[in-house]
Amino acid sequence: MKSITVEKIEGPQWTHYNSQQKQAGHQLLALTAFQGHRLVCHWLSPDGFVTAAVLHWSGLDFPSLSPHLPEVAFDEREIHDLFGYVPKGHPDLRPLMRTPRWPADFYPLNGTSQFPPNWLDTQPDNPAKIVEGDGVTVMKVGPTHAGIIESGHFVFSIIGENVLHLDLHLFQNHRGVEKSLEGLALEEVPRLVSRICGADTVSHQTNWAMAVEQLAGYQVPETLRWERVVLLESERVLCHLNDLAQIPAGVGFQVAHQRALAMKELWQRGLLELFGHRLLFDTVQPGGAARVEVDSLLKLIQTMNKVWHPWRNFVEKHHGFNDRMTGVGLVRRDDAARFGAVGVAARAAGLNFDVRTLMPLYQNLTIPATKGGAGDVAARFKVRLQEVESSWRILQIALNHLREAPAILRWHPPEDLSGEIVSYSESPHGLNVHVVELEQGHVRRYHVRPATFRNWPLVAMATAGNAVADFPLINKSFELCYSCSDR
Amino acid sequence: MLWGAQIVGVVLAIGLAPFFMGVAQTVKARRQGRHGPSVWQGYWVLAKTWRKETTVPEYSSWVFRLAPSMSLAALLLTVLLIPWSGTVPSAWPHDLLAVFFLLAFERFWVGLAGMDSAGTFGGLGASRIATLGTGIEPAMLAAFGVLWVLSRQTAIQPLAPALMRQSLGIIPWGLAVLSYAFVLLAETGRLPVDNPDTHLELTMMHEATVLEYNGRFLAQSQLAIAVKLTAILGLGWIWLGPQLATPWANLGLRLVELLVSSVALGWLESRSTKLRYFQLSTYLTMAAGIGILAFYLVSSGGLN
Repeated sequence: MKSITVEKIEGPQWTHYNSQQKQAGHQLLALTAFQGHRLVCHWLSPDGFVTAAVLHWSGLDFPSLSPHLPEVAFDEREIHDLFGYVPKGHPDLRPLMRTPRWPADFYPLNGTSQFPPNWLDTQPDNPAKIVEGDGVTVMKVGPTHAGIIESGHFVFSIIGENVLHLDLHLFQNHRGVEKSLEGLALEEVPRLVSRICGADTVSHQTNWAMAVEQLAGYQVPETLRWERVVLLESERVLCHLNDLAQIPAGVGFQVAHQRALAMKELWQRGLLELFGHRLLFDTVQPGGAARVEVDSLLKLIQTMNKVWHPWRNFVEKHHGFNDRMTGVGLVRRDDAARFGAVGVAARAAGLNFDVRTLMPLYQNLTIPATKGGAGDVAARFKVRLQEVESSWRILQIALNHLREAPAILRWHPPEDLSGEIVSYSESPHGLNVHVVELEQGHVRRYHVRPATFRNWPLVAMATAGNAVADFPLINKSFELCYSCSDR
Repeated sequence: MLWGAQIVGVVLAIGLAPFFMGVAQTVKARRQGRHGPSVWQGYWVLAKTWRKETTVPEYSSWVFRLAPSMSLAALLLTVLLIPWSGTVPSAWPHDLLAVFFLLAFERFWVGLAGMDSAGTFGGLGASRIATLGTGIEPAMLAAFGVLWVLSRQTAIQPLAPALMRQSLGIIPWGLAVLSYAFVLLAETGRLPVDNPDTHLELTMMHEATVLEYNGRFLAQSQLAIAVKLTAILGLGWIWLGPQLATPWANLGLRLVELLVSSVALGWLESRSTKLRYFQLSTYLTMAAGIGILAFYLVSSGGLN
């Protein structure tokens, strides 16, 4: 990976510099706060160079980027909640993961707060943004849901059957992953990073591995690269199969739903047999990755293809299903760009961003561009259909390379590794970024900016103006991860 | 013999209602590649729910507690009015308009229950049920109107034989059947109008109105849904059903027909997705339009 250019920015220039990066077509990787009043904004240029804009300041207030870069609105609220730094000029500085139970001086990441804090005995609800007026009803859904899903609280302002505004109250199960990672030794990290999320776990693990390897200057051998590609793509297939199964369930299309779940189960049982875990936990470590039996996986892909094509044909030709998906939950291209959408949602809206094209891991592969375009539920469904098939093609190429690849010895990182690095990969949900600061082989700061974190605001935006009965369908078409956000 | 067959018919229609529901569920499960629960599951669920504790929301009134019995009573009365054995004794009440009003009465109470539960889902469900009702009623009246034109009375009993006698043309007959089939799916809350199996509160119609119920009240609602399906399917066979010579044979035939239509319902639902809520008006207008066309063709002597 190319080295990172560091730019020290003075306070007044902060918003100007970062807005210019965005206008130049650069992709925001992460906005990370550190102890000692330091902010780092990592930007990825279209040709794969990373620039780190660094801001040092004194006091609590720093200039907010949100009015110019709405995509960091959540990030700045998170920084406000966890560090106590105040983004001056932020349009909506309500708590994001903080609840009224947290003591006023408790900021878990600022380094001076007491653990465990004296939780206050009060209702945990944060204020919701609602519409008021004649005929407007406020409807609260969750955080406990009827299905087996995670905790998200949705506050709808509806008039009749139409959604005027949707206020998201996510982050109900804040786990303090970043805090827990602080101070861990190198070998203790993978176990925790692997469990940030069940759907994007390989991507998270790969990010950690790449971060350590880059800091140590380890050249990843080709065998290991292909092994990681196999794992990442296997995960993408698994996640997309699940998402493809959930979308029909949103319109009561149970036959398509159950048949897709059966396919997912088939794939997952194969993964269990091949890699020892149904969700691919603990498969990638710095300097290593789970070995794969080439022929077994090729055979599994063949088996999958036999059930996949009839299913794809079945759903693509179903008139009622396509009718329900078309024109619903629209994300316009401009909005997707403005809010920094990533992954399937961005590609369905016509943004051609797939960070695999910039990853050294995929340097010998062409990643086929997917055709989305309209930005509605149907487009997101179609993008996933295409990506499952392209992942299988990539898997076949990678497996054929692996067949002839020489065996490698497991590399172990030096125990006194220090430094600060950003690493990124394309998880099934989109661009997934880790910012890691190590000191003498221990984690000093670990920031995770998962793909779903960026896309959640889009769900609220895409829902407003639709019928409230279409919300489950819209939500399922994004199928965002709660766990990634409850980190 | 007339009395006996009709009484047995009513008892069977109520008693077997959860079974027919179970048949439709089993067909759906099989189409989805699942085994699904037993066809008798409905009875176990009823027994379980009946035994559970019954609680009511803090902000609800007597309306909430009365509603399940009122809607169940309306549907049990509807079952009484349907000639299960083809011909009923002359002293037995049987009136098409009474069926129509009983169904409207039931919808009224279900809607009230939804609103009285003081939850937003209940209110939303009640609003949807009422909106749906405004579309269902004209369509149902038009379909019933065909029978009225043919027999010049609103009694149900002689209609099926009358239909056969008059040998009305296949087109108005087919249109009336089609219109009734549309109404049937809407009135019983099946796909593509409402999804009885969903857990997504935001998409619910009928289910949303009974979300706050548990225990005995929920059991009554569950039985009511099953009885409603059987009653409306049974009524539908008046259009199609050939009539046999004896009441007992007719009753046997009706049960077979109910079984067949439960299977068909499960199959149809497996092929459907739920319609957009805002498209339901189109669906119901179509149902009413077809019914009115049939009514017009029959009353003007049409194609005969």
